[in-house]
Amino acid sequence: MAAIDTAQRAQTLVRPWTPARGYALLLLAPAAVLAIFFIWPLVQVVIRSLVEPEIGLGNYARIFATTTYLRVIANTMTLAATVALVTLVLAYPVAWMVSGARGNTLYFCLALILIPFWTSVVIRTFAWMVLFQRRGVLNSFLVSSGLIEQPLRLMHNSIGVHIGMVHILLPFMVLPLLSSMRSIDPTIMRAASVLGANPLRQFVHVYLPLTMPGVSAGVLLVFISALGFFITPALLGGPQNMTIAVLIEQQTSRLLDWPMASALASLLLAATALLYLLYDRISRHLGAAGVLGG
Amino acid sequence: MAETPWIILGNAIRFVAVLVLIYLVLPTFVIVPLSFSSESFLSFPPPGWSLRWYEQLIAHQDYGIALANSLKIGLPAAALATVLGTMAALGLARGNMPGRTLMTIIVIAPLILPPIVLAIGLFPIMVRLGIIGTYPAILFGHIVVSMPLVFITVAAALKSYSPTFELAAMTLGANQWRSFWHVTFPMIRLGVMVGFIFAFTFSFDEIILALFLTNSATRTLPRLLWEQLNLYMTPLVAAATVVILCITMLMLFIAASISRRSDAKQADGSS
Repeated sequence: MAAIDTAQRAQTLVRPWTPARGYALLLLAPAAVLAIFFIWPLVQVVIRSLVEPEIGLGNYARIFATTTYLRVIANTMTLAATVALVTLVLAYPVAWMVSGARGNTLYFCLALILIPFWTSVVIRTFAWMVLFQRRGVLNSFLVSSGLIEQPLRLMHNSIGVHIGMVHILLPFMVLPLLSSMRSIDPTIMRAASVLGANPLRQFVHVYLPLTMPGVSAGVLLVFISALGFFITPALLGGPQNMTIAVLIEQQTSRLLDWPMASALASLLLAATALLYLLYDRISRHLGAAGVLGG
Repeated sequence: MAETPWIILGNAIRFVAVLVLIYLVLPTFVIVPLSFSSESFLSFPPPGWSLRWYEQLIAHQDYGIALANSLKIGLPAAALATVLGTMAALGLARGNMPGRTLMTIIVIAPLILPPIVLAIGLFPIMVRLGIIGTYPAILFGHIVVSMPLVFITVAAALKSYSPTFELAAMTLGANQWRSFWHVTFPMIRLGVMVGFIFAFTFSFDEIILALFLTNSATRTLPRLLWEQLNLYMTPLVAAATVVILCITMLMLFIAASISRRSDAKQADGSS
C-alpha cells in the first residue's frame, strides 16, 4: 500500500496534474467501445480468413485462382473509378455555382444537396427502380410520347447501376469541393484577373490548383464508398454487375462460406484502410467538418 | 472587364449545375405522387388518387412494429453515441497525449469503412455472446457507426472557442466537472444536439448492419423495405418511403435550425 502510494507520488512529482490529463481520461470509454465493437470484429475477420478452413493463405489463393471472383473484383474497381470520375465532372459545376451563392439561395442549394445526402440509400435506390422498371415511369413516358417503340432495358444492367450510384454519391463529392472552393480568397482571383489572365487561364492556373485538395478528398471519398456499395448494385444491377460487397453477402447468406467471405472482406478492408489514410492526410487541409457537411 | 463569351460560358455552366441539382433531387420525390395512387401498380402519372395505401400502411402490423423497432434502436443508440462521441471529442481536442492523430483516425473510421465488413465481423461475435437478433446487438453496431458523426460536430464546436475559458474557470477554483458543466457544455450544447440528431438519422436509415444483426422480430424500417422491394413493389412501399422521407427531412430541419441559432450566437459573441 505504502509502496504504491510512494510510486504514485513520485509520478505526480514528475508529471504534475493538468486539465489535459483529465480530458485524456475521457477517451477511455469511447476507446473501449471501439476496441470491442469495431477493432475486435475486424481483427476476427482477418484471422478467420487466415485460419479457416485451414491455416494459411488458401482462401486468398482461391480468390486469385477463380476467374469469377477476379472478375467481380475488377468490375468493382472499374465501377468505383467510373462513378468517382463522373461524379467529379457533375459535382464541380454545382459546387462552383453554390460557392458563389449568398443568403437564402445558398441555404436553398445546401438543402438540395443535404436532403439526398441524409436520405436512406434504400429509398433512393427504390426511386430509381420505380423510374427504370420495364413499365416504369421513364419507359411509359418515352413510349407514350412516341420517342421509342419498345420499352428500354434500364434495370438489371450497368446503365442502371451507374446512374443510381452517381446519383447517390454526388453529395459526397459536392461537399468537399464546396468546402475547398469557399476557402479560396477572392482577392487571389482578382489579382489573376488584374494581371491579365483570361477566365480560362485563371481557372487552369489559379482556381483548379486551389481546389485540388477538395477534388482529391471527394474522389477518394466517393471511390471508397463505391467500393463497398451493396444495396444499389443488388437491386439495380444484373449478375454481371456484382460487386465485392454483394459477393460477400452471398457467400454468407447463400453459400455459408464465412472463411471466403472473410477473405474478400479483408481485401476490401485493406484497400479501404489504405485509401482512408490517404484521404485523412488530404482532408486535414480542409477540416473534417467541412468535408462531411456538418 | 469580363467579355460576353465568358459570361455566356459562365451561364452555361450554371445551367449544367441546375440540371445536376434536378437529377440529384427529383427522382426521390417521384415516389410522393405514386404513394397516393388509387391502383396497385406503380405507373406515372397515377390513374387516380386515393389514400388507400396510407390506410393500409397504418393497418399493416409489420410496418408499425418496424417503425417502433427503428425508434427503440435509434434513440438509445443516438443517446449513447452522443455521450461517447462527445467524450471522444473533448478528450482529443483538449487532452494532450501521444497517439492523438491515430485515435482521431480510428474514431472516424467506422463512418468510412464499408459497413458489410463490420457486419460480417460483428455477426459471429454476437452469435457467440448469444445476443444475435436482439436489440443490444444492433444497438452496439449502430453506436459505433454513428459515433463519428457526433465526434465531428462536437469537435467542430470545440474548435470554435479557445480552451482558455476552461482554464480560467479552473483558476477561479472550479473543478473539472464544474468547469465542464458551467463553461464547456453551454458552449458546445448546440453542437451536441446536432450530433444527436445526425446520429439518430444515421441509425434510422442504416441497412447493412440491420440486415445482419436483427431478426424478423427486431427488424428496422429500412430492412423491412429492403425485404419488400425484393419481393414486390406496390404503392404501399412508396407510402412507407414517404413517411420515412418526412421523418428524415424533419430531423434535418431541426438540425439546420439549431445550427443557424449557434451561428447567430457566435456572431453575437464576436461582435
